[in-house]
Amino acid sequence: MSDPAPDTRLRPPAVAKALLTIREEVPAWLRWGLGVIPILALILLWWMVTGSGPAEERVISPTILPSPLEVVRSFPKLWFERALTRNAAVSLGRVAAGFAVGVAIAFPLGLLMGAFTKVKAMFNPIAVFGAYLPIPALVPLTLSLFGTGERQKVAFLALAFTIYLLPLIVQAVDAVDDVYLKTAYTLGAGTWAAVRKVLLAVAWPDIYQAMRLGFGIGWSYIILAEMVDIGRGLGGIIIVSQRQGPREHIYLVLLAIVAIAFVTDKLWQLGGRALFPYRERAR
Amino acid sequence: MSGAEKRGETMADKVGPTVLGKVVITIFVLALLGGAAYFLRDYIMPAGRGQGDIDLDAFRQQQGKVEAPDTAGITTVNEYAYVPAEKLPPVKGVSAYQWDANEKVVQFPINVWIGWLPIVAANNGFRPNEESIFFKEYGFKVNLKLIDDPVTARDAFASGESHVLWGTLDMMVLFAPELMKDSRTAPRIYQQVDWSSGGDGIVVRGAIASARELKGKTVVYAQNSPSQYFFNNLLLNAGLQPSEVNHRFTATAFEAAAAFVADSSIDACVSWAPDIYTIPEKVPGTRILTTTAEASKLIADVWAVRADFAKDHPDIVKGLVSGIFKAMDRLKDDTFRGRAMQWMAEGYGMSADEVRAMEADAHSTNFAENKNFFLNQNDPANFERTWKNITFVYRELGLLGTPVRFDEVMDFSVIKELDRAGTFANQVDEYRTTFAPTSYSKVQAEAPILTQTIRINFYPNSSNIYEPQHDETGRPMANTLYDPTVEATLEKVARLSGQYERAVIAVVGHTDSSMRGRGVRFEDVKQLSLDRADAVKQALVKKYRFDPNKFVVEGQGWNVPADPEQADNHALNRRVEISVYPPESQ
Repeated sequence: MSDPAPDTRLRPPAVAKALLTIREEVPAWLRWGLGVIPILALILLWWMVTGSGPAEERVISPTILPSPLEVVRSFPKLWFERALTRNAAVSLGRVAAGFAVGVAIAFPLGLLMGAFTKVKAMFNPIAVFGAYLPIPALVPLTLSLFGTGERQKVAFLALAFTIYLLPLIVQAVDAVDDVYLKTAYTLGAGTWAAVRKVLLAVAWPDIYQAMRLGFGIGWSYIILAEMVDIGRGLGGIIIVSQRQGPREHIYLVLLAIVAIAFVTDKLWQLGGRALFPYRERAR
Repeated sequence: MSGAEKRGETMADKVGPTVLGKVVITIFVLALLGGAAYFLRDYIMPAGRGQGDIDLDAFRQQQGKVEAPDTAGITTVNEYAYVPAEKLPPVKGVSAYQWDANEKVVQFPINVWIGWLPIVAANNGFRPNEESIFFKEYGFKVNLKLIDDPVTARDAFASGESHVLWGTLDMMVLFAPELMKDSRTAPRIYQQVDWSSGGDGIVVRGAIASARELKGKTVVYAQNSPSQYFFNNLLLNAGLQPSEVNHRFTATAFEAAAAFVADSSIDACVSWAPDIYTIPEKVPGTRILTTTAEASKLIADVWAVRADFAKDHPDIVKGLVSGIFKAMDRLKDDTFRGRAMQWMAEGYGMSADEVRAMEADAHSTNFAENKNFFLNQNDPANFERTWKNITFVYRELGLLGTPVRFDEVMDFSVIKELDRAGTFANQVDEYRTTFAPTSYSKVQAEAPILTQTIRINFYPNSSNIYEPQHDETGRPMANTLYDPTVEATLEKVARLSGQYERAVIAVVGHTDSSMRGRGVRFEDVKQLSLDRADAVKQALVKKYRFDPNKFVVEGQGWNVPADPEQADNHALNRRVEISVYPPESQ
C-alpha cells in the first residue's frame, strides 16, 4: 500500500519537532512501546517494594503482597492443582450466560425505550434507580430467589449486565439523527419499519460497542457471583486463597482475569470490524 | 482498488491451493491442533487436585502420634516440660506494626460473638479509655473494633494495623502457614477465651437421625470456617468419607442457613446461633442433629498476637491475658454483667436483648480451664490435640499444604507465669460435666449422634486391652502388646469423648460367632464382650481422667454382626462400637 500523504493540517508549523503534538500520528510500534512503559514501571515498583530478600527486610511483607517472582513460581500449582483453566472456563461460561440473559432483557427493552417516549417514561425511573443500586447488596436476594446453584450466579450476573447495558442501548437509539427517520417516513415507512430499518440499523454499531464494554464488567462481579456455592470458578479460587493461601494465587487469578478480558475484548473488536466495516473506515 | 492488489489476487488464484485444498488444509491443521490439545489435555486443562478418599486408618493412627505408647497410664496432670521460646519461631527484622508509644493503644478486632464479653467487660466498652481494667491495672488501652470478616481481620493483622487476630483455633490452623512466611506476623496464642457451647450446630431435614445417615446427602456450610471443621470431623468420626457427602459452600454461615431454608434439595446445613435454633421452629420437617452444646470442647475461640508485638511488649500481652481473667471474675456479678452486655450491644449496634439472647452460645474459659487447655498434656481436648485434630481434618480435605506445628503458635508462658504466681488460684474448672449414673438401655431412648466402630484385637478369651503377645508355648512376652495400635485407638476414642464433653458415650462390645453351636454358653460370650467394653472404659477413665459415669457399657456377644450380610466375617465382628448420645437421654 502506498504511503498516505503527510497530514499537516493539525500540526502548528512552529512546533513541528515538539515532543508532544495534539492528535499526532504515531506508528504502531511506538504506540505499543509507550503502552509497555507504565506496565514495566509498575512491575519494577512491585519488585522494589517486595524484592526477593527475607520477608522481614521487605517494604511490604509477603503476607500482604508476594514478590513478582513468588507469584510466577506459584503458577504451576495454580494451573495444575487448582485447575486454573477449568475454573476459567466455568467462569467464562457463567459470564457468557449472564450476558446472554442480560442482553435478552436489555436489548428489546432498550430499543423500545429509545424508540417510544411513552415506554421510556414508563421504565426510565426503574432504570435510573437501577443505575444507582449497589449491586453487591443484591447477592442475598438472588440467593433466596434462585437458590445456591448455577441459576443464582447467572441471574446475578444477568442483573448486573441488564442494569449496565440498558441506558447505553437507550442512548444509542436516542442518538440516531432525526434526518434518517424523516427520510424513511418520506419514503413511506411505517412505525415498525422505521424502528427496524432506521433506528436499529443506524444504532447497531453503538449498541455493539455498548455490549463490548458491558461484557468486561461481568468480570468485576464474578467474585460476588461465585461467593455462594464456592467450588468452581475463578472467584472461588480467590475466596479460597484469601483464607488458605497462597496469597500468590489471588494476584495470579487477577492477572488471569485481565488476560481473559483482554482477549475477549480483542475478539469483540474483530467482530465489530467484520460486522461494521464502514464504521472502522470512518474512524 | 490498486493494481498491485488486483495482481496479487489473480496470482493467488493461479498458484495457490483451490478452495477445496484450503478446506482440507484447514481441517488438517485443526485436527492436528485438536489432537495435540487432546493429547496434552491434562496439561492444558488439568482437573485439579480433587478430594480423594481419606484413609480412616490414618485418622486413627495420627491420633496416636500424640505420645509414645504408655501402658502405665497416667492419672495426674502432666505438664509440658519445655520452654515455649525454644519451639516458637524467632522474630527477625524490625517490628512492622503501627504503634504510638505515648498512647499505647492495642488494636484488637473482634467479631459478633458472645465469647468476647470478658474482653469488652475488661475494656469498659469498645473505645480505648482510662476506666478499663487494662488501663487501670496495666497502663495500656485497648481499641476493640468490629471486624466480622475473618479475611479482613487477617489482612489488618498482617499489615500491622491491628496487633491482635480473633479467631477459632481451626481458623488459626488455616491462617498460620501464610502468616508465618514473615516471622513478625507469626501468630502467638496465649489464651483461650471460650468454647463454643451451643453456638455452632448442624440442622438437618427429614429423617436424618444420626451422622451416618448423611451419606449421599447434600450439605451446605461456610468453607474455611468452624462449620467446615465441625461437620467434617463429625463425618470422619462416624466413619464416613467426606466424599460420600455432597458439599455445597457459602462464604458465611448466615448464607448457609439462608440457602438451606430457600433450597429444599439441601438436606443439612452447618451454621450458627440463632439460625440453627430458629430454623427448626420456622421450617417444618427440620431438626437439630447436633450442636456444640454436646460437642462442647470442639471449637475453641482464641486470640493471637503478632510475634513482633509480643516480643516488644510482653508486659502488655500479660496484661491482656490477666485483664480478661479478671473480667471473668467480675462478670459473675449480675449488675456488672448487664453493663458489659450493654457495652457489647453498643459496640455491635445491636439491642441489649439481642446480646442477651446469645449468652448461651459460648462458655468463657477461666484460668483453670486455660491451664488445662494449654498445660495439661493429658486433657483429651487440650490445645495440642485440638490443633492436631484440625490439622488432620483439613489436610485430608486438601485444604492445607505444609501444616504448622502446635508449639510454633502456642505460647503458654503467660499462663505458666500466672500459675506460679497463683494470681487466679481462685478460679476453678467450671466446665466439667458431672454425669449421673445411667445404663445402656436408658441412653438408647434416643438415636446416637454418631457411632464409631473401633477395633481392638483382644487376645482370645481375654478382656485385657494391654494383653502382651504370647510365645509358642503360650507364655506372655514382656514389653509387647498383642494389639500394638491399642494406644492410638484409645486416643481416638478419647478425643471424640473429649470433644463431646457433655455427651454420654456408650461402649458396646461385640464378639465373633466362631464358637456358636460348639458348646459355648451365650452368657459367657456376652460376659466376655461386656468385660471387653468395660476394659475400654476403664482405660479411658484412667488415662484421660473422664468421669466414669460418662460411659455406659454393654456386651452384645455375637448377637449383632457388623454387617448382617457377612455374619460370618469374624474379623469384622470382633469390635467395639462407640456411640455418642445427646445429654438429654441421661
